[in-house]
Amino acid sequence: MQIKIVIGTVAFMIAMMVFGYSALREPARLERFTNAELGRSIEAGSEIFANNCATCHGVDATAQECYDAQGNQIACQGLPLNYNGLLCGDVSQRMKDMGWSGTKHDYILTTISAGRGPIMPTWANQFGGPLRPDQVQNVTNFVLNYESETLCAAPLVTYEWPELAQEFLAGPDVTLPADPARGQELFTVTYGCSACHGTVDGSAPAAIGPSLVNIETDGATRVDGQDAQQYVYHSILYPSDFIAPDCPTGPCSGPPSVMPANFGARMGDNPQDMADILAYLLGE
Amino acid sequence: MATFVEQVREMGIKQAVVTKADEVVERLTAGMNINDIRAALRGDEPRRPNPRLRPHADGFWLHIRPSFYHTGVTHIYPTFRLGWLATFMLVWETITGLILMVFYTPSPLAAYGNMWNILGNVPLGQLFRNMHRLGAEVMVLVVALHMLRTFVTGSYKKPRQFTWATGVLLLLFTIFLSFSGYLLPWDQLAYWALTVFISGGAAAPAPPIVNDTVLLVLQGGPALGADGLLRWYLLHVLLLPLLAGIFFFVHYYKVVLYGISLPPGREQVGEDTAKRVPRDERTYFTPDILTSELMWTALATLFLVAGSLWLWDAPLETHADPVVTPLHVVAPWYLSWSQGWLKLADKTLVVGFIPLLLVAFIVMPYIEVGKSRRYADRRVGLTVAMLFITLMLVSNWMGSPEFRVQSSPDREVSIQLLPEEGPGGLKGIPFEHMTPGTYSPGQVVDGNPFLTRGLELFQSAMFQQSCTLTGNTQWEACKVDVLENGTRRFSNFFTSDAMPDPVAKLEIVEVQPNLKELILHYEVTNPDTGEVSTTEWTRPRHAFSNYEEECRFLNKSCATD
Repeated sequence: MQIKIVIGTVAFMIAMMVFGYSALREPARLERFTNAELGRSIEAGSEIFANNCATCHGVDATAQECYDAQGNQIACQGLPLNYNGLLCGDVSQRMKDMGWSGTKHDYILTTISAGRGPIMPTWANQFGGPLRPDQVQNVTNFVLNYESETLCAAPLVTYEWPELAQEFLAGPDVTLPADPARGQELFTVTYGCSACHGTVDGSAPAAIGPSLVNIETDGATRVDGQDAQQYVYHSILYPSDFIAPDCPTGPCSGPPSVMPANFGARMGDNPQDMADILAYLLGE
Repeated sequence: MATFVEQVREMGIKQAVVTKADEVVERLTAGMNINDIRAALRGDEPRRPNPRLRPHADGFWLHIRPSFYHTGVTHIYPTFRLGWLATFMLVWETITGLILMVFYTPSPLAAYGNMWNILGNVPLGQLFRNMHRLGAEVMVLVVALHMLRTFVTGSYKKPRQFTWATGVLLLLFTIFLSFSGYLLPWDQLAYWALTVFISGGAAAPAPPIVNDTVLLVLQGGPALGADGLLRWYLLHVLLLPLLAGIFFFVHYYKVVLYGISLPPGREQVGEDTAKRVPRDERTYFTPDILTSELMWTALATLFLVAGSLWLWDAPLETHADPVVTPLHVVAPWYLSWSQGWLKLADKTLVVGFIPLLLVAFIVMPYIEVGKSRRYADRRVGLTVAMLFITLMLVSNWMGSPEFRVQSSPDREVSIQLLPEEGPGGLKGIPFEHMTPGTYSPGQVVDGNPFLTRGLELFQSAMFQQSCTLTGNTQWEACKVDVLENGTRRFSNFFTSDAMPDPVAKLEIVEVQPNLKELILHYEVTNPDTGEVSTTEWTRPRHAFSNYEEECRFLNKSCATD
């Protein structure tokens, strides 16, 4: 019996020491698992993104390379998400533009959950979408994970756009004559404008934004003192400044316009794009 | 009776406190004072009348325990302490379960997040989860062994038939308790194991209306969802523990009533002398049995704590997803035999047979009424038992992943290296050693032993699923079967569906800061048509995901060492 008391006491003491030892390791272990939760959430988010979001936002979320289910390259209808204007800083440029006062995480989560405007669908179950709350959370974590020092070191605005179209076209960054065929390619594929505006010849009707058929004449009537060229140029750069009267679904909404305000930033890398698109739209 | 103040006046403060303490101890133990306890611990003979018997007569906690045992049953043989151990496990599961309950909400919205909260936010949370899960598996094993022991020593025979019957039910409750807890983490493992189990139950040989209703009640809807989870939670924490508790006390009452049966050789055939204990054969509960039980409690606690810390981690897969079925759904080991049976016989037959088996177990002692408990007289019974155990072990093995249905060869390679759930050969490579680039199976990457080992595993996985028609020394030569429609099928030693002369490669791409994608490419040229088919398998891997740790624990062929 005495030996049993000794064995039992020793075993109990060792068990308590094992407890104590595992308690000492706890802070490091808790951190590992908290990180693992985030890591696995991002992994799950990347798969959901590849299956659902990349069609419109592009394979690397820069809205430059989009493919349909058959693998054909199509116009990217979504905004770039791997984009410093969305991700950099506690209050990013996009959040300022939208007057969002919550966190960046909540901004992205809410946008994914409830959708935005007529193109971005609602994704969360609670708003009738296909994703469970945890999946929306995963995609949010994935998108936020694009933030990096390299991304945020790049300047937000890369090009100083002159106020007047004339001045821009006469400037050193543009080679004239502009190429309307390239403009069409940019309009329908690269920037995906035709997804909302249709084509200028009317072969594809406008879906969301105002139709641009006859824009070369209509454009001159919209704003006093602006010809069609100046009006279109200004509207591409600052969509919310002037709201067109008629959209396919009724009067156009805004300001703010549902048209993305980042074309100026995107075209800043290659201002010739603007010249070519103007040439295509205005038939010059 | 003098008051404490009067006692102080009379004896002085020191003596009064000692007397009072003695009195309190005697009340708490329902009969033993401090000197009696010290004498018991020293192993002295008790004074007369024996104060060590009073707690059994007057106290609540010991009133169900016998005050002495036959010395013949107090050794390791014949009981192996299994009944006691099963009781210990029940208490253990209750305590760890209550702690886990604090951090758990039975809702699909919260349950899976709760698991990560327990793992990453609750101090010792992982340890308690492991202890509960490990305890559940050990408990099933212990209860099953307890039943086996009872059969082997013939202890189910008259007058203990009813004790045996309640014991069979307790085994059933134990399995259900363990299995009902399976669903609660609401991960893929849980969701699909339960879905398969419930749908199996609904294939019972009964009218469709009965089966459909059972299915609806167990799932709480057309598929497992919020209501189903709540139901299984309530089963797990309320109904089944209640049933197990009630039957435990019935079972134990009968054990005390009839006494623990002596080793079969110790008594005459047809006699039951367990309750007729001669004075010199008595082992008293206090102190001998009590110290023995406390020692085993300490040892079992040590084993479970250390095992939960070092031997094994409770698994946690990705969030339950009703629309994504994992490739291989595996039953827990204690139900694996049923999966084995399903491969042999029709579902309805198997599901109908299991309750019959249960009834057969319960009524067995009322039918097998041979008087002798001696092994030599029970050759048929013991042989049948051994055959049954062999059958269960073989069935269990047949239900194991070893005998799973094969999918396409490239997918078999992919899920071995980069499974959807848990770690695999390539997932366990430390993140910083996943150097972006394109690699072929078996390639040696200088200065990167981890990736080299991973690619070795890639090569050996490919080897099992590939064969050659062109004499490529990398693969074995193809065995060719010509099917009826004229197409040829290629096989090797391992599989009947091998890829002929495949070209495979692993591509590692960095897609985000701290996020890489591992892409397995397979290119197979059909030797008959010349048609090239390419397939791809992509898994993301984040720097924080920490599959390395899981890999080490599960002892998979991960590339970490």
